[in-house]
Amino acid sequence: MISTVSKYVRRSPYQALSAALIMSLTFFAITIFSILTILSIRFISYFETRPQLTVFFKDSASRDEIRGLENKLSDTGRTSSITYVSKEEALAIYKEQNKKDPILLDLVTADILPASIEVQATQAEYLADLAGIVRGSPLVEEVVFQKDIVDTLISWTNAARRLGIAIIAILVTVSVLVIITIIGIKITVRREEIETMKLLGATNWFIRAPFLLEGAFYGFVGSLAGGGLAIALFYYFSPSFEAFLRGVAIFPISPVMMLELLAIETIVACLLGMFASYMAVLRYLK
Amino acid sequence: MIEFKDVTKKFASEPVLDKINFLIDKGSFVYLVGPTGSGKTTIFRLIIRDILPSEGTIALGDWDLLTLPRSKVPHLRRRVGVVFQDLRLLMDRTVSENVMLPLEFSGMSETEAREKAEKVLSEVGLAGKFDQFPLQLSGGERQRVAIARALVFEPEIILADEPTGNLDIETSFQILDLLQTINKKGTTVFMATHNEKLISGHDRVIVLEKGRIVEDRSSEKSKKKSSSKEDSQEKVETSKETEKKSHPAEDKIKLEILAKND
Repeated sequence: MISTVSKYVRRSPYQALSAALIMSLTFFAITIFSILTILSIRFISYFETRPQLTVFFKDSASRDEIRGLENKLSDTGRTSSITYVSKEEALAIYKEQNKKDPILLDLVTADILPASIEVQATQAEYLADLAGIVRGSPLVEEVVFQKDIVDTLISWTNAARRLGIAIIAILVTVSVLVIITIIGIKITVRREEIETMKLLGATNWFIRAPFLLEGAFYGFVGSLAGGGLAIALFYYFSPSFEAFLRGVAIFPISPVMMLELLAIETIVACLLGMFASYMAVLRYLK
Repeated sequence: MIEFKDVTKKFASEPVLDKINFLIDKGSFVYLVGPTGSGKTTIFRLIIRDILPSEGTIALGDWDLLTLPRSKVPHLRRRVGVVFQDLRLLMDRTVSENVMLPLEFSGMSETEAREKAEKVLSEVGLAGKFDQFPLQLSGGERQRVAIARALVFEPEIILADEPTGNLDIETSFQILDLLQTINKKGTTVFMATHNEKLISGHDRVIVLEKGRIVEDRSSEKSKKKSSSKEDSQEKVETSKETEKKSHPAEDKIKLEILAKND
């Protein structure tokens, strides 16, 4: 059976190449999309675990005045933690985040960085009230509401996800149609041979199986080539992404996870190829 | 073994076979004779259930071909070895691969199938041609490949549709000898031909004309069974005369072949 499939593939190399290429393109897109999904989930969860409310103070605000505001927030009973970050600590964090970029380090001193408090609420719905309390204070320069950032991120990633799903749906449809066409052409070309085999006593399964395996083969090759290329490119560009998103701890992604992704994609691709071939067989081998 | 009862086959309401009746016994050698278009190939196609009759019943052993489930059709076709009129050899496969093909359906391993195919090919006189392609063979050799492929499953019946159609008389007799040797081993042979010179006087002959059996010339081995019983007596008498006349010609040709071989 395997030798029959290999013969079918070798006899029409350009058709085989077209089928494998379209599958590669589809699974390249699917892999990229999967990686982006993993990254966006990590990105969002990173922000979700950050302090939910960050309050930046004016330079004029003294530690005692800030402590007074901290007590005011604690007295509401709606905070689970309040952490003070002094100008010096802010500088230390900044230096840690930019340690690979000495120019940025030279330009910044503790004076230009504001002191801040990071507030975690016991429940998300209390954040608006807590933000209202600090916004009213003359000590406060700016209030960063983490929920706004997360909500924006979620809406962006949802939009990207919908676009990705639409692109993948189109590519999957095109792949299935291309494989149906290619297998259909092969069946038409081999019609006489198939007829002879039937007359000699071949079962339907014996005739159909090589075509189904051929479809699975295109899926296998396509997913390995497309998925493998996407994963290789991701690891190649990972250091650049990491530098771009400095301080956002979403890297590294484990190679085991990537191998699992590739394995799942390969199984899906084989099934997709077989499905497309089965459609062709149903259509052309009545 | 094979029984046709009142079988009619119509294509687009045009009858190709009309009320055909015959019974072929196990182990017999039966000729189906008739001009082109008389319905010989249609009878073979009905036997392997490539098509279904419009009316009547067909039985192969204890199998009623009309009620045979579709899933059983491949099994039926493995009981019947067919030598097709156009041979239907796969030109991109070697001689061995062509003969191995039916064995692959049964799930036999490639090595085993190759061994068996080469054994059968040797029996039909094609030892040493295993790796050649059909286009590299002569007409007679290709015919032998088709016979080997029909034989490889050790079928109960061989249907040979004009197996000597495009061959010279010498090769035709060689093919006929081969089929008779196969028959002597117990395989039923049902052979269609339009060449009456090939017919041996000892075997049964069913004559077909415009889709009707006009004559069923029985051999000593089998009893006469004709679908067109009416006015058949007269035709049988005529055929006996033809038979007597054809024998000396056939003998003469055979003597010429023997002389050439010597």
